[in-house]
Amino acid sequence: MTVKKIAKKELARLLDEWSRQFSVLVPSVETGVAQMTGWQGEDTSFVDWYRNTILPPKDAILPVMEEMFSFSKNEDGYRLEMSPPDSGRQLIFGIRPCDARALAMLDVVFKQDYEDTYYMRRRLNTVLVGIGCTNPYDSCFCTSLSSGPSDTAGLDLMLTDIGDEFVIEAVTEAGRELLDKSQGMRPATADDEARARESRDIANQRVTQNVDVKKMPDRLLAAFDNEEYWRKIAAKCISCGICTLLCPTCYCFDINDEVSDNRGARYRSLDSCAFCIYTKMPVENPREEKWQRVRNRVCHKYEFYPRLFDTIACTGCGRCIRLCPVNWDITRTLNSIPGQ
Amino acid sequence: MAIDEISNRKRFLAGDNVYLPHIAVIEKIIEETPDTRTFHFSFKDEKLRREFSFESGQFGEFSIFGVGEAPFCISSSPTRCDHLEFAVKRVGRVTSALHRLGAGAEIGFRGPYGNGFPLGYLEGKNLVFIAGGIGLAPLRSLIWNVLDKRDKYRKIDIIYGARSPADLCFTYDLDSWKQDKTVNMVTTVDKGDDSWTGREGFVPQVLEQLAPSAKEAVAVVCGPPVMIRFTFPVLAKLGFTPGQMITTLEKRMKCGIGKCGRCNIGDIYVCRDGPVFSYAQIRDFISSEY
Amino acid sequence: MEEKTEKLKNEARKLLEKGQVCRIVGFEPGSLKFTTTPLITGEKDELDRLVINPFIVNNLSVYLTGLKGCVAVVAKGCDSRSIVSLIQDNKVNREDVVILGIPCSGIVDLSKIEYLVGKDRDELDDITVANNSITVTVGGEKREFTKSKVLFDNCLGCELPTPREYDILIGEQVAPSPALESGKLKELKDMPPEERWRFWKEEFSRCIRCYACRNVCPACFCNRCFVEETEPQWLLPTPHWQDNLLFQVTRTIHVAGRCTECGECQRACPVGIPLRSMTREMYDLAGELFHYKAGMDKDEEPLLTAYEVEEAENFFG
Repeated sequence: MTVKKIAKKELARLLDEWSRQFSVLVPSVETGVAQMTGWQGEDTSFVDWYRNTILPPKDAILPVMEEMFSFSKNEDGYRLEMSPPDSGRQLIFGIRPCDARALAMLDVVFKQDYEDTYYMRRRLNTVLVGIGCTNPYDSCFCTSLSSGPSDTAGLDLMLTDIGDEFVIEAVTEAGRELLDKSQGMRPATADDEARARESRDIANQRVTQNVDVKKMPDRLLAAFDNEEYWRKIAAKCISCGICTLLCPTCYCFDINDEVSDNRGARYRSLDSCAFCIYTKMPVENPREEKWQRVRNRVCHKYEFYPRLFDTIACTGCGRCIRLCPVNWDITRTLNSIPGQ
Repeated sequence: MAIDEISNRKRFLAGDNVYLPHIAVIEKIIEETPDTRTFHFSFKDEKLRREFSFESGQFGEFSIFGVGEAPFCISSSPTRCDHLEFAVKRVGRVTSALHRLGAGAEIGFRGPYGNGFPLGYLEGKNLVFIAGGIGLAPLRSLIWNVLDKRDKYRKIDIIYGARSPADLCFTYDLDSWKQDKTVNMVTTVDKGDDSWTGREGFVPQVLEQLAPSAKEAVAVVCGPPVMIRFTFPVLAKLGFTPGQMITTLEKRMKCGIGKCGRCNIGDIYVCRDGPVFSYAQIRDFISSEY
Repeated sequence: MEEKTEKLKNEARKLLEKGQVCRIVGFEPGSLKFTTTPLITGEKDELDRLVINPFIVNNLSVYLTGLKGCVAVVAKGCDSRSIVSLIQDNKVNREDVVILGIPCSGIVDLSKIEYLVGKDRDELDDITVANNSITVTVGGEKREFTKSKVLFDNCLGCELPTPREYDILIGEQVAPSPALESGKLKELKDMPPEERWRFWKEEFSRCIRCYACRNVCPACFCNRCFVEETEPQWLLPTPHWQDNLLFQVTRTIHVAGRCTECGECQRACPVGIPLRSMTREMYDLAGELFHYKAGMDKDEEPLLTAYEVEEAENFFG
């Protein structure tokens, strides 16, 4: 595949160019929290501060909340109207390998069996341009999950920081087309590619957290009924939704109606298996206790999902570790499953 | 999407969107007990009314616009499809709102979802239907389905129980099954009142007393979780193997199609892989969450 | 600090050995640099992990209502007030808790250091806390900051750094800091109402309803939060900013007279909403209107559960 390069000072121009074709999203703290927001032109300072966003980029495809359809009533009864789809194509610039890989895990769920219109229509209109990590967090553990700071899985284009320039590599056919059409690209030299390789090697070595995921589904199944272990592991969890709502591979949602005046709408919003009411039925609740919910979160990612789809539903982005108010660290749990 | 690309399961999508409900009209409401009602409904769209099909045991997501959605099984039989029925016990927000509806009200429906009872497996067998309370709703669909093709099945026992005589649902069905000479129908209540002349006792105990033979038989069980939990051991004692026991599970469901996450037991999603399971399947389910 | 940590370990060991408590709730070093994490244990050989340092952020009293039997809990000044408040509300029995009081000279707000040095927590080499200053080493370079620049807002002007209610005090008394008005709160109060409304609209547009603010809060002890009620459904789970704001306003009112200004709600918020501006205002109002400070005296009637007949407002009928 084609390998090209672009100077960092040319980046704003490139994003402007892409903006004519896509709604371009870039890392930003404009809203008060690091997340992907619309490219406003000029400001490419994120290149210096951006390590990863707090809100995962899945937000651009599976938003925290979305209107599904609206309903109104007249003398003939109810009339439903699909909420208008987000217009046009979007390009997420700077998505990290862990988050791009996570989207592939969501794809399976939303595609299988019944296709999820809302997710799929955004997903199919999204181009992912990744930037490999040069400065991973101390909480990152992507290399334990057959990924890494330069993993290209799920991306269309991959950028590697080589100092004043980015080396750009096409990963998919769509990426190659975009790259070929883009102005201001120069071919990368053998020296550039060597520097990109070096940059990738250094980044790989900087991921120091380690989890042994060998035979994880079986090990978790064997430990499933070890209530004492799960109670101990769960003791300090406060059952908030941070680790799930901000996880790039979590997709659970809730559906609710809202009415104002003569119009109402049905909304989908992200939900969390950490919440007690998530599984609550009027009479029974199969996961009433905190340890059962903690167990479900760990097992869903490392046992149930792999059984269904052959891959662990965690990409080691480390958000759940960094952002947890009580420092509940999933790597410590995974490394202490009884029977190891 | 061309129509032939849509699998049989997805035939009844509204506007290609799995979450968009069809509009249905409530035609009749039957007060089963003080807290349970049966709703007769039909689709507003004539074509759908003609073409809609489902299997006994399948469920739908019913919605009241502005209040929300909840899953209920279709309680009528596919063999009698001039209208559809579902039964609702008033336990929460959506069910209370449903109980406030009158005939003529419009609701939303999407489905049918889930797997339904394995009719083929039941053919040529002795059938023991065991139900408690509102748990008769899914079984009722199956029972009428079976009775409408009576010659395909052998002996039929029905054991139905409720807390009190006032809590017995579908009494009009119970009466006609009692009169049906090809059916052995037993009704019981946990505790009778002054006018009650029938049996008293919990369903599992009555089952043990009646002791239906396990030979070439299948037991289909549905009721409150506590009844189900006590019924399986009795069936086992009577010689039923786990493969001869069938039940339908209830979990909190929102999407109905295996995406929203909450109805899982291990890697099984009750909405997508169930709700009908044989005991052979669920006894291996992750024990503490079933 | 080492001295305090040793003393804590000894006291904790004695309590477990004598069977006076069945569990210790304290802090151990966290999995990430400069962090700590709650340690909840009944095992003696785990007590060696206990630690006291300027990074013990959590208010551990939040665990008390969920633990059975007699429990020893590590408590800074604000945390001890939360325990007292729980005792006032009959949520915790005084006899069932052994308070291991920690006189506290303030907890380091890592996000302030990150902002000041322009580096993330994990990029810092070292943080040394002295009496009045804090030295941060980044990339071999040492930078010194006065404590007031890097402690949590709620530690500045702390009214009770040394627990008043305790069973064992670990370390010397610390004098209260002079009262300071929170900068953010003053800024908000000075805004015209429309501007303030816009401010909160923006802030609560970020809220994702993770409920971390509620779940880290010891004063939020309801078994079932009003936001989870379905009949009637006061609020929808869908995170519209209006509902998010309403949730927080209601929560703030619910914790009036219980909030001890521990600041955990704001620290836990993953999207950085300045929640303490709300709780602080409520705290000040409780002081102004009722001369009430939460969690100061376990024998005092709680603010919002006691009233005099003469106080009856019209709506009582």
